[in-house]
Amino acid sequence: MTETTIGHATRGADAVGGLDIRIEDDASPIVRLIGRTIADSVRANGADSVVATVAGTVAVRSHDTPQAATISISDGVVAVSSGVFVEPDLTLTVDLNGRFALVGEPVVAGDDDLAAAALALLAPPLPDWKVAADSFWAAARSVPGIPDMLVAITEGPEGLDQHVVGEGETHYVIAGPPELLAGIFSGADDLIAALSTGLIGVRGTFSQLSVLVAASWKVRYDV
Amino acid sequence: MSETTYTATELETPVHTVRLESTNHDGSFLGKNLAPKKFAASAGSGFAMADLLFGLDLGNAPTFGFAFPEWRGHVSDVQFRPDMSTLVQWEPGLQSVIGDYWQADGSPIGTCPRNLARKLVDRLATRGFTATVAVEIEATLFQESIHEAREKGYRDLTPLGGSAGTAYHLAKSKDWIDYMSAVARRLDEIGIEWEAWSDEDAAGQVELNLVPGDPISVCDNWARARQVMREVAFERGHTVTFMAKPTAGYGQASHVNLSLQRDGVNAFYAEDGPSPTMRHAVGGLLATMRGAASVMLPQITSYRRLVDLSGPPTTITWGIANKSTAVRAVCGHPAYSRLEYRVPGADANLYLAVAAILAGVIAGLDGEIEPPEPVSDLAWCVPDLERLPNTITKAAAALETDLILREQLGDEFVDYWVGTRRWEWMQFHTAGGDPFAELSEWESARYFEFP
Repeated sequence: MTETTIGHATRGADAVGGLDIRIEDDASPIVRLIGRTIADSVRANGADSVVATVAGTVAVRSHDTPQAATISISDGVVAVSSGVFVEPDLTLTVDLNGRFALVGEPVVAGDDDLAAAALALLAPPLPDWKVAADSFWAAARSVPGIPDMLVAITEGPEGLDQHVVGEGETHYVIAGPPELLAGIFSGADDLIAALSTGLIGVRGTFSQLSVLVAASWKVRYDV
Repeated sequence: MSETTYTATELETPVHTVRLESTNHDGSFLGKNLAPKKFAASAGSGFAMADLLFGLDLGNAPTFGFAFPEWRGHVSDVQFRPDMSTLVQWEPGLQSVIGDYWQADGSPIGTCPRNLARKLVDRLATRGFTATVAVEIEATLFQESIHEAREKGYRDLTPLGGSAGTAYHLAKSKDWIDYMSAVARRLDEIGIEWEAWSDEDAAGQVELNLVPGDPISVCDNWARARQVMREVAFERGHTVTFMAKPTAGYGQASHVNLSLQRDGVNAFYAEDGPSPTMRHAVGGLLATMRGAASVMLPQITSYRRLVDLSGPPTTITWGIANKSTAVRAVCGHPAYSRLEYRVPGADANLYLAVAAILAGVIAGLDGEIEPPEPVSDLAWCVPDLERLPNTITKAAAALETDLILREQLGDEFVDYWVGTRRWEWMQFHTAGGDPFAELSEWESARYFEFP
């Protein structure tokens, strides 16, 4: 059998804001990313009200890899599963390393409300970078080998700004633009991809960087 | 224990090169070529090699996503210590020696496959047993040269020996026979004893059986025999691959046969079926099979083999003379009573596979674990038999939580292995692999040549 489960979504995640968001067992990264992003949208926007008024299937395809997933919205339940095995009402081709930025126009086979709802679900607002750092470090505590402290540094209108989370003997430093730090800490941006842009600087050991990648996967993919 | 003393006089002249040989966790055949003078100068103390040999994936990217053990610094050196008992003449002027990896303080690298296998062999010996192991090497041969295969992305290649027939056909075209004959002669020259070779189920596929022996020697011969097969293929303008499923058709396995001896007697033998020792060994193997599957099925493609009725086991089962089960017991013969562990793919690192198998056996013996009743029916397509983990992530999760394998193999290995498997999963999905293809181009590019 192929590497990834391709059956219908079967496992319910915790209800978020009254909305039932389900992803399948052994889900692929894109399914996990979409599920986590929708949950963030609901928490931030109360997007469950958006979901309550629409129904349909949305195909989400990566613009540069074979990754694909289906979002099914029905009766207030959002289910995300791997691949596209139905004729969707809406197809979105997106940049998965660009916060679901559309690549090309949506292909709409149903009503426009579904497109508006889907785009809203995939675009949660970024939290403040310090708030994001706090929640990131809280989620990262369970990652083996994580340092005791996170030192996040950014340069704002009033010069350098630093936010320290945790306490202890070991620490890790990450510096960059506030919006990109917020993206990394919230899971909207991929840490390794962000490092490759040259906009992010880090200081720590090789092993700590590896562990930070694990922490970033945790908030981005919930793994 | 590795031999660490060495004098220059041990090298016969004329030798122009000494090749250090080892495998890493992925099973890649790694090493370094040394001038004889350099080898003689450092063989006693060891040779520094960058820890990245355990730190890069098969796409040459550093693996991230887990805590590194102490010996992983900022691209630090680890010590390769040659085992001089393995020194052979590979070809005129070139000698080769297999070794293990150690830390500067003299403690073993926990993820070094050969170290780990030897640890389990030694542990088994403390229970009064020695193990005899045999391995079936399966590979697929293609008519094209490796350069042509690379140009074609390792796809749509021409099976060597034609596409007709399946197993045991002697009337294959002579190019296929000439290749395997050349492999056998090279093995003879190096001193690797083989028992048999024949074609296997898939077009172009071969099975090579090495002579059973002590586990470490068999693993060493496995690593070298695969290299011989690569070199002969190159010399003859052909290609060989050990990937679990080189085409969307048949896969290929690496079955491991095992027996235990105590005081020179086969401890698996009993007149009326499995001996208590065999039963307990089976019990341990089944108890650890979910987690061990991660080692036996190491790559993304490994799991594409797990299709009912196609050859590989798909369930956590054992049976007597039942090749549809995961462990086949061969009973009733004082010399040949043995277990065939049928889970490993051709892409498994045999050192690690043997270590994981011995781990299960030792746990079974220590705990006198009784197995369930053997499966006497076909073990495929049976809804009420527990299935093997069918993805790299499920198997990694099973290994991560397997307390028996953690105790036997060590936390360092388990955590490192699980971390690299999760990295592999992430790379496959996010860097171009296609889970919906029967075999994606990403997999062909990543796994065809290595390991």
